[in-house]
Amino acid sequence: MTAYILRRILYLIPTFFGATFLAFLIIQLAPGDYLTQLELDPKITPETIARLRAQFGLDRPIYEQYLLWMDNLLHLNLGYSFAYQAPVLEVIWPRVVNSMVIVIPSTLLLYLVAIPIGVYGAVRQYSLGDRILSFLAYIGLSVPSFFLALIAIYVLLQIKFRTGTLIFPVSGMTSSGFEQMPPLRQILDIAWHAVVPVLVATANDIAGLSRLMRGQMLEVLSQDYIRTARAKGLAERVVLYKHAFRNAVIPFVATLGGLLPSLISGAGFVEVVMAWPGITPFFLDAIANQDLYVIAGFLTVSLVLLMIGNLISDLLLAWVDPRIRYE
Amino acid sequence: MRRTLAVLVGLIALAGVASAQPFVWPQKWTVAKPSEVKRGGTLRAAVISDYRTFNPFITAEAGNVPEIISGGRGLVTRDPTTGDWIPYMAESWTISPNKLEITFKIRKGMKWSDGKPITADDWIMTWRIHTDKAVGSNSYDSFFIDGKPITLKKIDDYTLRFIYPKTDAEAFAVASFEPWPAHIFGPVYQKDGAEGIKKMWTLNEKPENIVSGGPWLIESYRPGERLVLKRNPAFGEWNKDEAGNPLPYLDRYEIKIVKDTNAQLAEFLAGNIDLMAPATVDHISQIRQAIQQGRLDATIKVNASPVASSQFMVFNWNKASDPFKQSLFRSDKFRRAMSHIVNRQAVVDIVYGGLGTPMYSSVYPVLTQWINPKVPKYEYNLQQAAKLLAELGFTKKDKDGYLVDSKGRRLEFNLSTNAGNAQREQIAKLIVDEAKKVGVKVNFTAIDFNTLVGQLLSSGPDRPFDAIIIGLSGGGLDWPFGSNVVPCKGNLHMWNKSGQCLDPRETQLDALYSRGRTELDFKKRVEIGYRMQEIEAQLLPVIYIAGPNYHPAWNNRLGGEHPDAIISSIWGQRELELTFIKK
Repeated sequence: MTAYILRRILYLIPTFFGATFLAFLIIQLAPGDYLTQLELDPKITPETIARLRAQFGLDRPIYEQYLLWMDNLLHLNLGYSFAYQAPVLEVIWPRVVNSMVIVIPSTLLLYLVAIPIGVYGAVRQYSLGDRILSFLAYIGLSVPSFFLALIAIYVLLQIKFRTGTLIFPVSGMTSSGFEQMPPLRQILDIAWHAVVPVLVATANDIAGLSRLMRGQMLEVLSQDYIRTARAKGLAERVVLYKHAFRNAVIPFVATLGGLLPSLISGAGFVEVVMAWPGITPFFLDAIANQDLYVIAGFLTVSLVLLMIGNLISDLLLAWVDPRIRYE
Repeated sequence: MRRTLAVLVGLIALAGVASAQPFVWPQKWTVAKPSEVKRGGTLRAAVISDYRTFNPFITAEAGNVPEIISGGRGLVTRDPTTGDWIPYMAESWTISPNKLEITFKIRKGMKWSDGKPITADDWIMTWRIHTDKAVGSNSYDSFFIDGKPITLKKIDDYTLRFIYPKTDAEAFAVASFEPWPAHIFGPVYQKDGAEGIKKMWTLNEKPENIVSGGPWLIESYRPGERLVLKRNPAFGEWNKDEAGNPLPYLDRYEIKIVKDTNAQLAEFLAGNIDLMAPATVDHISQIRQAIQQGRLDATIKVNASPVASSQFMVFNWNKASDPFKQSLFRSDKFRRAMSHIVNRQAVVDIVYGGLGTPMYSSVYPVLTQWINPKVPKYEYNLQQAAKLLAELGFTKKDKDGYLVDSKGRRLEFNLSTNAGNAQREQIAKLIVDEAKKVGVKVNFTAIDFNTLVGQLLSSGPDRPFDAIIIGLSGGGLDWPFGSNVVPCKGNLHMWNKSGQCLDPRETQLDALYSRGRTELDFKKRVEIGYRMQEIEAQLLPVIYIAGPNYHPAWNNRLGGEHPDAIISSIWGQRELELTFIKK
């Protein structure tokens, strides 16, 4: 087992260099650079722009920029943001933490809701409940999350117009005067702001995951060993939960590793629409501005987490599934 | 004994007031009388993009934090009612007989928020750092005229001299930069130079370490979320209303960062933010509806003024590889014909929902005192366009219905604009349709903004585009022509980047530009500007189209907005210093 882990870690090294170089190259392939936006400013001379370009090192060949960046990376320095004139980690970290306020509850909620729905759908296949849940799932799958967020804002506003109170805030993470609140109030305030974004972020994923769970469960239920279990007279509850369910969740164990990078990658467009100060709006800004090292640095962190996550998934799989052995 | 003490204290206080020589904010800048004003409260606003630094020397975006906390004012400021420069942090100035030197007497008694006096040293240090190449300040270029430096000289603590390499219409604009505390930046600059300066006042800096000379201090900042500013009491010591009350009236100014305009609108409709400048017809009508149905107590000034930017179609004069197109694009008859096919009214109606303004000149329509009313406008007129094209030899049509010349060459060109700008894409499609009616084939593509800029600003005899729709903003009230745009060697001389004037009228414009820039008399400068617009109209180097209007809105809990006459995209809806909360 140890040998296997070591080998896996060795394999990660070429993957790491290949992936970071590719990412770096693709970012650089986009036309223009961070300073292009200054070129249409009538007040700034081309000489000034050329000087800034040299200061940022953007006038050097790409491989040279990559090697310099890699050198910094090996010293655990993700690089420097042009726009913020500050180290990348320093500017992205607070945003990642903000995103986690949505991502972690939303992930928990997702598993808590989606798996029971999926199991129910499989056990009571084609029942009225299954049909209704399937119908809702298809709607959930087809409505983009930003649109769902806009609908949520609309509904909140209509309630406010009718009753005069906002049950949940339409945007932001904290109320004004947040700094003056006692710590407990602060936590409650953030929680109050997080309710709608968490629900919106979860809604889409519930649909996908519950469909997947339903499919898995149906497949397992049609296996011979389930028939055997029933034939030997086990209670249906035991058949379902001890035999069928345990086998049906194995593929989900493989997805657990994927959760690691998704922890830092933000909750998506709901953050933009509801003005949540997470990583998504920040990262979109960085892309729009071609803030090179912010994009590359963030991708690198995600990449490392993805690689670690995959490794963990594989090990977990070996642990839960007796059919898999790594030697 | 007690009484004498009280009298004495009173006298000292009076002396303090007398030496502070306050700047009195004119009553005509607000609709509110000092007697109606209430003190205290919080103004809540929203911005679309997050802040990037608190450092005044490396900040690059519009509406940055240093500009907000300093109030964006320096030695001089403009009176929005007249547009004239008036003394602000200066008490007065004298101009040398050769007009190359302006000596400012700095107002005494002004203090930084940490209690240190504001003196000539602060301007000198600020100027030094801005003009240090290694710092990379965005203001660097504003301290040079034609590559020659403007220098500052300290005469004494309260006297400062600006020395210009040539007479400059924008001399006061140069002198209006905000000073920053020399006692904070100076020691770091001396010790670590530009690198030290760049590391200062990042977003992680503790708010209490940010020293301000303007109306606001930073109270707190939460990245991506909210900037909260509080009143700077030191500012109120020398900024008063006409009744002698210290300014600003507000206790706090809170700015939410809301990246999506729909979410901003929702916050405004919910009464959670007080200021809004809706840009689309849909947003405007939602605000109007909410007001009419009594769901929102707010004011919106629809079509208050055009915005201060231009939008145009530019043809490329440098196409050595395609002599046919090159001679076409260099022909003023062709360009005039193209101006005749631009249906500006349709652009305003369709693209801006009726809430826009047609444009005919390089001077933004909002700069009314600069617009020459007698300049001919080549309005939408397809017959006239067809006639001009016929004069160029395009009389016959081919089997597809497009015009061809005697050699059978089809009248066709490519048009592009930046992808994602829905309004420009719509404008382009309107142009394609109208052009087709007279038999001109226009192939429209929307391309990435950076690629577009690269094509537009490329130079030499052969450049890679036919025509582009783009816009410019920025440019002063003192001399509204672009220093990079009009001169033939200018980087934004977009139609011709061969590096030299190709048309005698370009040479003429180039010369008039320099004359206007060095003319100090406003009336004479306006005359030169009028003349330039006449030549531009003949030459039509670019074809101006139309732009949106400015529609400010505010929640009625706010008072102290500008009188209607000065609500515009230039002066905004209000001075925050004079804004107060009614309820």
